[in-house]
Amino acid sequence: MNGYQGKILTVDLSNRKACEEPLDEAFAKKYVGGVGFGVRWLYDTLQNGDDPLSPKAPLIFATGPLASINFLGSTGISVTAKSPLLGLIGDSDMRGRMGSSLKSCGYDALVIVGKADSPVYLRIAEGSCQILDGSLLWGKDIRETQELIHADPQNKNMLVTSIGVAGERLVKYATISCELQFFAGRTGTGAVMGSKNLKAIVLGGKQKTPVSDMDKVNELVKAISAQIQTDGTCDTLSKYGTWNTTGPANLNGILPTKNFQATTFSEIDKINGDAMLSTIYAKKRTCPGCPIGSRRVVQGETPYSLSPEFAGPQYETVASMGSLLLNGNPYAIAKANEFCNLYGIDTISAGVTIAFAMECFDRGVLTEKDLGFKLNWGDPGGILKMIEMISLREGIGDVLAEGVKTASQKIGKGSEQWAMHVKGMEIPMHDPRGKKGMGLAYATSFKGADHESSMHDEAFQRENVFPELGLTVAMDRKQFEGKAALVKTLQEYWGVMADVVTICKFPMCPPRPLKPGPLVELLNAVTGWDFTVQDFVTTGERIFNLARLFNAREGMTRKDDLLPLRFEEVLKEGGSAGESYPRKELEKLLDEYYRLRGWSAEGIPTQETLKRLGLN
Amino acid sequence: MAITVRFSSAFQDLTHGKKVFSVDGDRLSKILVDLERQIPGLKTKLLDKEGKIHLAYHVILIRGDMQELCHDLDCKIEDGDELVIAPIISGG
Repeated sequence: MNGYQGKILTVDLSNRKACEEPLDEAFAKKYVGGVGFGVRWLYDTLQNGDDPLSPKAPLIFATGPLASINFLGSTGISVTAKSPLLGLIGDSDMRGRMGSSLKSCGYDALVIVGKADSPVYLRIAEGSCQILDGSLLWGKDIRETQELIHADPQNKNMLVTSIGVAGERLVKYATISCELQFFAGRTGTGAVMGSKNLKAIVLGGKQKTPVSDMDKVNELVKAISAQIQTDGTCDTLSKYGTWNTTGPANLNGILPTKNFQATTFSEIDKINGDAMLSTIYAKKRTCPGCPIGSRRVVQGETPYSLSPEFAGPQYETVASMGSLLLNGNPYAIAKANEFCNLYGIDTISAGVTIAFAMECFDRGVLTEKDLGFKLNWGDPGGILKMIEMISLREGIGDVLAEGVKTASQKIGKGSEQWAMHVKGMEIPMHDPRGKKGMGLAYATSFKGADHESSMHDEAFQRENVFPELGLTVAMDRKQFEGKAALVKTLQEYWGVMADVVTICKFPMCPPRPLKPGPLVELLNAVTGWDFTVQDFVTTGERIFNLARLFNAREGMTRKDDLLPLRFEEVLKEGGSAGESYPRKELEKLLDEYYRLRGWSAEGIPTQETLKRLGLN
Repeated sequence: MAITVRFSSAFQDLTHGKKVFSVDGDRLSKILVDLERQIPGLKTKLLDKEGKIHLAYHVILIRGDMQELCHDLDCKIEDGDELVIAPIISGG
C-alpha cells in the first residue's frame, strides 16, 4: 500500500502490552490518515459521556500518507483524543518529525489506551515497543526530559516527544511537545497523555515507506518549491515568520487587545514584526522539507534571559501574551512563550485565561487575597507568575488550569461574560467582528474556537482565489453574505484535510503556491490513487460530519454553536470600527450553513447526508 | 493634493526603514509613479507581472473612519486620504 506501512501499533498501558494490527486499504482510502483516522477511531471506541481522562479514552498519533516524503512539514503528525477541555473531539496538528519517525518504525499510527500504574515512557523501534520506567522523568520539564532520555545510550539519536509538568497535573490545555520545537498545542491532548502516566515516546527506525511514483513527487516538489522561492507570496512569511501578521492585524482592527475589549493596541510599535526583529530575533529556523523558514529563534539577556533552544513565539503568542494582556514588552512575551513551552501549556488558552483573570482583578471579582498578588494589565511579572501557577496548579492556578469556561463558572459573579471561548476552547487571536467568516468558523468547528479550522477572510477579498473549489467571488472581510458557503468549503479543504494528509497549512493559504490541484496530484503520486480535488474535499466533508456526529452524541446541538456575548458589542475604533457580530446575524448564517451542509435545523447531519458521505 | 502613504514592515528593505511618505495624485496609478521615484524598485515588488496589485499585498485606503481596499490601480484617491501598504493576513 503506497504511502502507508500498513500497520497500526496499539499500546495498552494498563496491561503493559503492545500489539500490531493491519491497516485496511479501503479504510485508508476513505479516511486517508491523520485526524481522519483519529476521529473514526474515537467515534468507534468511545461512548457518550466517557471521561476523556479515563484509561478507556484513546490517545491517537496518526500520520498522513505525505509523511512518507519530506515536503512542507509533511513529516508531522496529528494528535487526536477526546478533549478534556471541551468534552468533544480534540485534535492538534504537530509539525516536526514525529510522523516520519513513526513511519520509519513501521507504523502509520500509534494508539495508546489504558493507564500505567506508575510513570512510564515508550521506546519504539522497528519491530519492538518497550514500556520503560519513567519515574525519573516525572516532574521534569520538557528540556530536562529530553536530556535525561538522550543520556541513555540506547536512546541516542532517537526522537523524543513528551509532556511537561502541566500534562502530568492534568491542566486541561496541556500540550505535547516534540524536540523542544513543535507542539500539539490545542485541546489538551497533553493532559490525556498525563492521565495515562505516559511521560514520553521515543522513536527510532529506518524503514522506508513505499511511494507510488517518486519521479512525479520530485517533479511536483521542485515546481512548488521554485514557486515559493520566486513568486513573492511567501516573502514576508520568510522574513518575519508569522510576526508579519501583527501589524496588519492591528491595522485591520482585529488584533485582540485587553481581553477582546478592543482590537488595536497602543503599543503596537513595540511588538510588530520590525520590533521583534530588532529586539529578540536571533535567526530563522525551518521545518523539515520547507523552503520558507517561518519559525524564529529568539535570544536575549535582559530583562529576561531567553533560550534559543526553544521555538520563539509566533503571532498567536505575540498577541495572546502581548496585546491581549496589554503587554508591550517583546522580551516578556518571549519569556512567557518559553515558560509555556517548558511547562507544556497552550499559549493561546493560557493567554486568554490570564486575560480573563486580569479582567476579574480589574473589576474586583478576584482580589489580591484570591490571587496572592496584584495581577495588573501589562505586568510581565504577573503574567509569568500566572503561567507557573496554572502549570503547577498552585493557588488560583488550580481553577484557571480548568480552562476559562470552567474557571468562570467556578468564580461566578458575572465573570462568565468575559470568559472568551467557544465550547470551552479559548478564542484565538483574530477578532471575528472584523472577519465574519472566522466567527462562523469558530462557532461551528468541531473543536470550538480554532483559527486553523478555516482560512481567513482577508485572503478572499479578491476574485478567483480558488476557482478549483468554486471560490471565485470577492467578499469583503466584514461582510456576512456568502460566508456560509466559503467557510463550509474551507473547513473541509483546509481545516480538516491539511490535518489528514498532515502538511503545513501556511503554504496552502492564498495567495501562496500550494493550490488544491498540485496538492491532490502530490497525494496521488505518493499513494497511486486517482483522487480528484472534489474527492479530496468530500473526504474532508466526511470527516467533518463524523466529528459533528461524535459531538452530537455528547449532547452538542445548535445552542452550542455560539460566540461570546462580547462580540455583539460594537467596536469603537480602529480598522473595524463600527463592526459587531450580532446574534441574529450568526443565526442567519447558521441557517444557511446547516442547509448547505445537509444538517437539520438543530445542526445534526441528516440520514441523507450521512448516506451520501458513506457514514450511514 | 497631499496623500500620506504608510508602509508595513514588509517594505522596510526598500524604504530603508522610512515608514511614511507624502505623495501626490488622484489615482493609485499616479501615486505609484510618485512613490517609485522616491522608492526605486517598489513597483516591481508591489505589482505582479500583469501590472496588477500583487496577490501577497493589500493597498488599504483610509478616509476618516472609512477603511477599504484598493482593488486596482484605477482606485480614486482624494486629498487627505491615507494609504497603507501591507501583506495580507493568511493565518498565524
